[in-house]
Amino acid sequence: MNKADPETLLARAIAPQRPAVRAGMLCAAVAAVAGVCLLGLSGWFITGAALAGLGGVLVAQSYNYMLPSALIRLLAILRTASRYGERYYSHKAALLALATVRARLFDAILAARDARAWSAGEAVAGLVQDIGALEDRLVRKPALPAALAGGGAGLALTLLAGPWAALALLAILILLPWAALRLSPPMLNRPAAELAGALGRLKTDMIGYAQASPEIVAYGMAPALQQALEAEARTADRARLRLARGEALIGGLLTLGGGVAMAAALLLSDGPLPLRVLAALASAGAVESLGALVRGIMRDAVVGAGLERLRALAAQGEAGPASMAVEGLAGETLELPTPSGPLLLKAGERLAIIGPSGSGKTRLAEGLAGIRPQEGGGIRIDGHALADLPPDQVRALFALSPQEGGLLSGTVLDNLRLARPGIPEAEMWEALEAASLAQEVRAMPDGLNQWLGDGGMRLSGGQRKRLSIARALLAGRRWLVLDEPSEGLDAATEARLMRGLDGWLRRTGAGLILITHRPAPLALCERRFDLGAAASGN
Amino acid sequence: MNNLPKAVKNRKAALFWLADAACAIGGAAFLSLAVSIIPQGDIGFLSLAVIGLCTLYAARALMQAGAAVVGQYDADGARAGWRRACYPALLSAVPGDRRMLGEAVADAVDRIEDLDGYHARFLPLRLAAVAAPLMIALAAAPASPVAAAILLGTLLPFGLGMALAGTAASRAARRQLEALGRLSGLFVDRVRALPVIVGFGAQDRVSRQLEQATREVADRTLGVLRVAFLSGAVMEFFAALSVALVAVYCGFNLLDLLPFPAPERLTLGQALYVLLLAPEFYLPMRRLAAAYHEKQVGEAALERLAAMGQAGASAPASSPLPRPPALRFEAVVVDHGEARVGPFSFDVPAGRMTAIRAPSGMGKSSLLHALLGLARPGEGRIMVEDGAVALAALPGHVGWAGQAVALVPGTLADNIRLARPDASDAEVEAVARRAGLGPMIDARGQGLTLRLDHRGSGLSGGERRRIAIARVLLKDAPLWLLDEPTADLDAASAADIGAILRAEGRGRTVLLATHSEALAALADHQVVLT
Repeated sequence: MNKADPETLLARAIAPQRPAVRAGMLCAAVAAVAGVCLLGLSGWFITGAALAGLGGVLVAQSYNYMLPSALIRLLAILRTASRYGERYYSHKAALLALATVRARLFDAILAARDARAWSAGEAVAGLVQDIGALEDRLVRKPALPAALAGGGAGLALTLLAGPWAALALLAILILLPWAALRLSPPMLNRPAAELAGALGRLKTDMIGYAQASPEIVAYGMAPALQQALEAEARTADRARLRLARGEALIGGLLTLGGGVAMAAALLLSDGPLPLRVLAALASAGAVESLGALVRGIMRDAVVGAGLERLRALAAQGEAGPASMAVEGLAGETLELPTPSGPLLLKAGERLAIIGPSGSGKTRLAEGLAGIRPQEGGGIRIDGHALADLPPDQVRALFALSPQEGGLLSGTVLDNLRLARPGIPEAEMWEALEAASLAQEVRAMPDGLNQWLGDGGMRLSGGQRKRLSIARALLAGRRWLVLDEPSEGLDAATEARLMRGLDGWLRRTGAGLILITHRPAPLALCERRFDLGAAASGN
Repeated sequence: MNNLPKAVKNRKAALFWLADAACAIGGAAFLSLAVSIIPQGDIGFLSLAVIGLCTLYAARALMQAGAAVVGQYDADGARAGWRRACYPALLSAVPGDRRMLGEAVADAVDRIEDLDGYHARFLPLRLAAVAAPLMIALAAAPASPVAAAILLGTLLPFGLGMALAGTAASRAARRQLEALGRLSGLFVDRVRALPVIVGFGAQDRVSRQLEQATREVADRTLGVLRVAFLSGAVMEFFAALSVALVAVYCGFNLLDLLPFPAPERLTLGQALYVLLLAPEFYLPMRRLAAAYHEKQVGEAALERLAAMGQAGASAPASSPLPRPPALRFEAVVVDHGEARVGPFSFDVPAGRMTAIRAPSGMGKSSLLHALLGLARPGEGRIMVEDGAVALAALPGHVGWAGQAVALVPGTLADNIRLARPDASDAEVEAVARRAGLGPMIDARGQGLTLRLDHRGSGLSGGERRRIAIARVLLKDAPLWLLDEPTADLDAASAADIGAILRAEGRGRTVLLATHSEALAALADHQVVLT
């Protein structure tokens, strides 16, 4: 079974919360029993008191009113405290378990073989909204013990007024959950799935559009896109309305059941009047204690829809077949396939890859960095085919500065720290110096702690690129892979960057794979490979 | 301009809750009637009373269902209003906004969803919680004025309890929503940066950070819930005690054991009727207490949405530019909050191509963003046609190619058509070919129906640029704003795109930010920012 299966994750996450779950269940049972007894006892007490009162002063004096009235107060306190305990403990267990599920499911996303395949919108809809929908299932765990305890107490009290009243109550107690179980799936499952789907699509679309805001403003597309988003939101609203209508109708059965239960108890009970009143009120209380159970049955539609979506999300995160790690892989040699035979690079060598746009330079860089699965291909590391190596091993050899920079929303420090754990600050400044960004970071009001905005967008294009290069330098890998490192830079900055990179490479002895179509960076490399010529040569 | 939606009244749903309370009064009357009849053994009468009881409980079920559905309608209306107010802020977010994208999206979806329980349940219940108890006390008074007085007397602690809990909870709820927003922001951001995270083998560290954020959300939510549950428990406790008080009073009255001279003498029927009404008296307030968490979260969400809606007050629609405009930048300083760039002063003549050149990081892109209202000009001003045209008239009427080419999931044609949604397929194909996408369209075999995903996977840097150029050509606007339109391109492709821009841009005002000397050389004149 898949490690990231949401049911399995949920079961595992709830295990450490078992004490809280048990406490919640116990509290729920106590609250239900106290509630039923409270209602029944009050009715019995009043009726008994009335009959005693009618019997004259003597009977009234001998009527024991102290014990029942004290019991009523005790039950009231007990019900309050245990109701609070039930809610608190069950929510605590649920929230902590869901936090774990979120973290583990995100781990599954992190472990996916193709890191480029994920849509942020789908992921966040799953991790926040769909996992949130599971809360109901966990919170309602105490519903069954509460219903059993409340129903049991109600039956016991009703039995005092004869078997027929108890039998009628039993029938109602069985009939109501059965009806909820029968009615819920056809009435609620579809709207619940549609609601979750529409909200997920809404998030995905929004994230897609929000990243295009300059285009949206420049071309005045906001009103049209807003209409599209609102239409999607209305789909969600319609689904929710159907959900609410279904839940209200099924919930109405419970109210009706309470009235019928009281009526049945009055009609079918025998024995003294106080006991018959007790039976009627206890029946009403017993039906009421089914409330959480019936609501839980209805919420199963929402929970199910969430689980279904999470299953799809987790399936996307299949890690793929694990490949065998190769002992002692050090990246001493690198072999790239070319039409004129393999191109062999030794550690520390520098290769420039050139070629027209669209000839696959970036694809090659991402393949080397281990973030794009390689199918066949002829790239070999230390004589082993890259496609057969575990991605982690490949990634440990290469540090990539991608074309688009790939910055985190965070500070300069957050971004640099991503390279590897425990980088001393002095080393960060060295790398920034080499990437020709140190002066600008020093001039920032918060220096290394400067907040860079969403996706680092507060920096200029050239600054983003240089920060991404500094981060790649800090990773301390055998090979540096730079995709268009000097794009967006003026000539002076570009020259400084090249000098800085040259010095860094000399000091560390790292090799370089450099992708560019500008002339200046070519000077950094002793070897050159024209991917365009290779393609046309094919 | 304040385009925030007006508060929704939710009166109709409250009326249903009141009707529910009225049915409860009837139910109590029939039940006590039935009990009074039992000793007399009149089966006919008893059956009638029992049928009445069942009918009224059926009516209650309908009223409760009605309240839920009508409340849902009202909530839908409220949410639609907030969407209209908040979506513009999201769609025209300033690049490099202070907040993470995921936070904004969490506000625009999750926080608007949070309004559901607030409008559908809490607001109508709050109205009902004032009127329904009074109604029930009024109904109890004819049977036992003293019991009715006891009920009314216990209202005071309820009001106090609600007020006290309210002030303590709002700050906690705000923090809960902040933590939730941050979590969404981190999820979105880290998934976007997944290739880099994985490439650096930083999964463990990122995973720990996210786990911490999920824990924080759980802790903060629990903190808010604790307050909600506590105030709910206080309510329930008072309700239970008050019911017990009524029960004891009725019982002692029936026993004639009251320590004070009773102003009334109850029959069993009257006592039972009052006792049955007592829980109904508190039921609306208990329901309100149960919806208390929805109040906390709803109010905190409203606060966040109001801030978002105000930020996104949409610009009024404007008419297209009649002719290529002249632009003048007068001592413009772009304000990023912490960092400021400028001041810059220069002229962009009408109908000509102007190249802006500046060292990296000098704020070329910010100047272009300022023309769209996406970056705040801190000082100085930008004049269009010497002030004859408002700056706000530009968005929607310019050609734009930015540093990052935004792609939306859909076909290649959909992506180009973003620039002019009413363009025909033939027009889209024509501009695609003029922008140099011809070889790609022919090679992939799917033509313009080629599907693109959110990342534009499978497109080369050059192909993305050409999509942006195709959009500019399709828009056919008199003003073009181009930010490094040949970045990431090889010399041949860059020259090719430069030639297209030069030829197609003739007679328009073209403002071009670039480092490329070759591209700048094509311009009619150059502005160098230092």
